[in-house]
Amino acid sequence: MQRASRLKRELSLLTTEPPPGITCWQNESQLDDLRAQILGGADTPYEKGIFNLEIVVPERYPFEPPKIRFLTPIYHPNIDSAGRICLDVLKLPPKGAWRPSLNISTLLTSIQLLMAEPNPDDPLMADISSEYKYNKQLFLLNAREWTEKYASQQKKVSKPLEEKINQSKTGTTNDSAVQKRKGSNICKKEKKSRLDS
Amino acid sequence: MAGSGALLRQCPLLLPQNRERTAYEGFVTAQGRDFHIRILLPMDFQLKNARIECSWHLKKILHGYQHILKQRLHSCPDLVSFMVELKTVLEIALKNTQDLHIPRPPEYYSCLVRDLEILGWNKVVYVDTGLTTVKLKAEDSCGRQHLVTLKLNAKYPTEPPDCLVDFPVQFAISWMPQNSLIDIYNQFLAALESLKEFWDAMDEIDGKTWVLEPENPTRSATSRRIAIGNNVSVNVEVDPRHPNMLPECYFLGADHVVNPLRIKLNNNMHLWDPEISLLQNLKDVLEIDFPSRAVLEKSDFAKDCGICYAYRLDGTTPDQVCDDPRCGQPYHRACLYEWLQGLPSSRQSFNVIFGECPYCNKPLTLKSSTKKL
Repeated sequence: MQRASRLKRELSLLTTEPPPGITCWQNESQLDDLRAQILGGADTPYEKGIFNLEIVVPERYPFEPPKIRFLTPIYHPNIDSAGRICLDVLKLPPKGAWRPSLNISTLLTSIQLLMAEPNPDDPLMADISSEYKYNKQLFLLNAREWTEKYASQQKKVSKPLEEKINQSKTGTTNDSAVQKRKGSNICKKEKKSRLDS
Repeated sequence: MAGSGALLRQCPLLLPQNRERTAYEGFVTAQGRDFHIRILLPMDFQLKNARIECSWHLKKILHGYQHILKQRLHSCPDLVSFMVELKTVLEIALKNTQDLHIPRPPEYYSCLVRDLEILGWNKVVYVDTGLTTVKLKAEDSCGRQHLVTLKLNAKYPTEPPDCLVDFPVQFAISWMPQNSLIDIYNQFLAALESLKEFWDAMDEIDGKTWVLEPENPTRSATSRRIAIGNNVSVNVEVDPRHPNMLPECYFLGADHVVNPLRIKLNNNMHLWDPEISLLQNLKDVLEIDFPSRAVLEKSDFAKDCGICYAYRLDGTTPDQVCDDPRCGQPYHRACLYEWLQGLPSSRQSFNVIFGECPYCNKPLTLKSSTKKL
């Protein structure tokens, strides 16, 4: 009941005053399915990358946090290969720190911050985390390579322009999807290609 | 004996005054200056009971650092390591107070005032009380106001001042000892003219489009995120040296809107004409018109419920308010109830819930008047 009024206000705020480097919109005018993009911050290995995220807004929002995951593969200690994010504000208390004073805009900003400042002491990807801790140079190299490979818009431009607008509910699909990721228990929808271009 | 050797190396001017080595007198050196000091140790050589006597000069410099020194006296095992610590503290203290202790030579002030008079006081917007920082203003040929902050060091005019400007590029000045402020000012004006085209292009974008980011662009900001439509925007990174060339563009937004734009940019890239303005080029190449700023009807945010972001909810209005006057966040009873009752940290007693304000964490009570919440 509260979800509708909340989302309406949040979406209009996101349109008129988006947080720096963040865009968020409704996916095919469904109320509970949003998409967002985060621009990789300067002086991070994600610089010049554009990262797509999926936001599923539960029925009980804002009493429950939205479920957010990365659609674009990202090399990060706290983000797993299914795009799931380990961040306290995305979980309900007592384990997490979600509260209704937060919103989608502040969550996306927190994720942007997490990208710039990984938290290797609470890792989701143990290998990446130890690499981040003990071999920062290699971590930066790998993260930059992934950004270049999966999140770079410049590369998309140079590709044959075969992008087609896919109106089906499953989201955009693409033949050239390099890698498939399943958001197994994140969203109950059927699996779809993780790369939307 | 080894200890005294180390002490001699560390502080060659500090010498024992008696056979028992309980009294030392001499000088401690930091930043090329010697400070008179006397150290009296108790018979058991416990440093924490030592007595340190300083010259008034040293006392003045170390004022405010006593607690650190006291703590060092307690933690250091011997006199040598304490002297190392004392020197470190002294170095820091000297660095922090240097400006106050070393007055500048009188020629500095007379020279600076003369230079300011030659330049003209009407160009000066600010001078600090110590006459070490000067701000000058200038107008470029398009009527834009610019400031340059000059931080003068004590050797002015032999050494040039540090110039702080709001430029997208480096501002390096060339300086000779016989130069004066007017030379810097002229170099500043020349630099302003060289950046005129860049600021013209940016001003046109700021004036005619809806710039989402940065909110209040500085003169040094080279990127703009321009709204194209609802939740679609383009981020342009302009080269300040070549403002009318094709900038680096990133599109943000849903694929089905962004992809056609990207294709247009790719296909029309050859149409880019450095002779016309950046904004006009962007419009031509993307075949769009940029929308002007949309203003969100700012319905009184302060009155709305902090949970559902609305004023009316099922005919009720936000009548619960956080008691902390600095917060005062209103809530609908139903919204607050639903949040608090799901929390393990809330406590319910009869029909009262004790919890915390979701915004400021201050304790908050909520009476549930009816059961049908």
